[in-house]
Amino acid sequence: MPEMETSPLSLIYDGSFEGFLCAVFEAFERRTIPQALVPASRPSQLLIGEQIEVETHPNRAERVRNGIIQRSSHRNASLVHVAFLSELPGVELLLLRYLVKLFNDPNGRYWQNMLDDEVFELVQIARKVKKEVHRFHGFVRFQETADGMFFAPIDPDHNIIRLLARHFRARFSGQQWIIYDTKRNYGIYYDLHTVQEVVLQNHRIDFNAGNVASEVKALDEDFYSRLWKEYYDAVNILERQNHKQMTNLMPRRYWKYLPEKNQAGKLK
Amino acid sequence: MKEQVLKKLQVLADAAKYDVSCSSSGSTRPAQDGALGNAARAGVCHSFTQDGRCISLLKILYTNYCIYDCAYCINRRSNDLPRASFSVDELVDLTLSFYRRNYIEGLFLSSGVVVSPDHTMERLIAVARKLRSEHHFNGYIHMKAIPGSSAELVAEAGLWADRLSVNIEIPSENNLKLLAPEKDFSSVLSPMNQIHQGIELNKEERRKYRKAPRFAPAGQSTQLIVGASPESDFDILRLASGFYKQQNLKRVYYSGFVPVNPGDSRLPAIQKPPLVRENRLYQADWLMRFYQFRFDEILDDRHSFLDPNLDPKLAWALRNPSFFPVDLNAAPYEMILRVPGIGVRSAKLIIANRRFGSITFSHLKRMGVALNRARYFITCRELPLHLRDIDPVYLRRKLSPSVNPKVVQLNLFEHA
Ligand code: SF4
Repeated sequence: MPEMETSPLSLIYDGSFEGFLCAVFEAFERRTIPQALVPASRPSQLLIGEQIEVETHPNRAERVRNGIIQRSSHRNASLVHVAFLSELPGVELLLLRYLVKLFNDPNGRYWQNMLDDEVFELVQIARKVKKEVHRFHGFVRFQETADGMFFAPIDPDHNIIRLLARHFRARFSGQQWIIYDTKRNYGIYYDLHTVQEVVLQNHRIDFNAGNVASEVKALDEDFYSRLWKEYYDAVNILERQNHKQMTNLMPRRYWKYLPEKNQAGKLK
Repeated sequence: MKEQVLKKLQVLADAAKYDVSCSSSGSTRPAQDGALGNAARAGVCHSFTQDGRCISLLKILYTNYCIYDCAYCINRRSNDLPRASFSVDELVDLTLSFYRRNYIEGLFLSSGVVVSPDHTMERLIAVARKLRSEHHFNGYIHMKAIPGSSAELVAEAGLWADRLSVNIEIPSENNLKLLAPEKDFSSVLSPMNQIHQGIELNKEERRKYRKAPRFAPAGQSTQLIVGASPESDFDILRLASGFYKQQNLKRVYYSGFVPVNPGDSRLPAIQKPPLVRENRLYQADWLMRFYQFRFDEILDDRHSFLDPNLDPKLAWALRNPSFFPVDLNAAPYEMILRVPGIGVRSAKLIIANRRFGSITFSHLKRMGVALNRARYFITCRELPLHLRDIDPVYLRRKLSPSVNPKVVQLNLFEHA
């Protein structure tokens, strides 16, 4: 494959991973590395030169995805997806540069070489995202509704909600639940059989406080969340106070939806 | 009724908090469709206390009444404080309700001793049995084996629990007798040995019949209180090392002595728990479990206490200049692991990547190596810096953090 040249072109895709893979396809077809590769929803002021809106074709996306698997591994292909979900500015271009090297690699080992800048950065970003996924295995807090549904709001830094499905599907297979990203306004819903993506309309949930409206809350819900707060306070050992370590491990930006942390005036 | 549960929770969570073990890892209890819960191999922290410890389990006592009178314990018989006991159903309900809301990863159930060790053990078992067999609960359960309880009960406990632990608390027999007159080493060691045997037997059984029920699949742990009695760090590490080798313990927890019973003349008069010492012991323990250090390499007869100002790995390196410098582009994994500033992860990265080219300082930095420490102990392509040329006394001064206990206390479980 010939070298790809950079050009003052901007590729705009629909924001989905499939859309991104199609933009990669487009870049390869034009043999060019654009100066910007951005989702339509996040327009950048930096867009100069020609702008092209890339259409999303599932079969093209599939071809790129298969190409990645062929030249590396399934695990690595999912790493590309995970890094993409970081939503860090510029991650699309990084991934494109990475994929150019991956597809040009003659001996099939490029993707394992962490001494390479793109490989290294990709792995670092994926690690960050996976760390947040792991954190949210713990930081999700369900509230029970009157009809026995368990609802949890989250607002993670990265777009990780799909990556939570497997863990919660396995753990809570006997109850219906929704985990909802209030920042990106979509969630995953488990109906006792499968997990699907949902967008809530007309919801009875206060996205600021993360509370299910009291008229649809289960009777015992407030009691149990109060028990939990009391428990949290009771296990503190005064003599060992170490506020800094606590906020390192549980940064303030995650407190919003944690009942043990979110009461006004209790920011300790 | 509800108010009562709330009161009990306050009393019995408060009373359980001095047990510092927190891990919920190492078990794999697969989910079953329609049932509740599973146990993940890597534990999950659900919250963190103000003192920075992970909360992953509902850590609670069945009761804080106790017929014993251990000097270091808030729940001892001679203390005048509010007492409470849960019912089995209350504990089951609490666990399930907390678990369903994803507050916790499971239950850590301990207790004061009421009536007799066996009686107490039976109550704990009843809770776990009910959770597992009536409510099909697959979450994590860590249960205390009460010192002195019978072999049959320990055997049953292991069928319901993921992890069992017996706390040794005081690291030498004579001091244990002094501080906990009703206990002795054998009341702790014999259940510990039974659990160990149970686990070993179970492994064999499961090799033959894959469906044999699991016995304490996450193994066992214990806790040592540090600073309530005069044993040295060397004594403590020797004991811990023995537990890892002979009883195959998963974890030893070190709990800096919290002076909960001021005025007891058998105990040292301190105001604050020795947190720096506790942290150094965790670092040393880490060296034994993940860095292939023997306890008598970390300390010896001449050095029987860990240096509060120096990470034990760095201290070892400064005492062993002939081991260095390590050539990162050629040395085996075990040697790289011993370089101060290089952790398990970066050592693995170095090994995995040097086939692609020589490792340079900038690579090392990206891999997370603490170059400010490591550079005195390595050679890599650019800068061969030989420790031989540098005076260990000078290095010690240069690399010690100025005596600021706050700084060293921070990264409790990190180590490089
Ligand atoms: S037996 Fe346990 S609960 Fe009772 S006093 Fe001793 S340490 Fe405390």
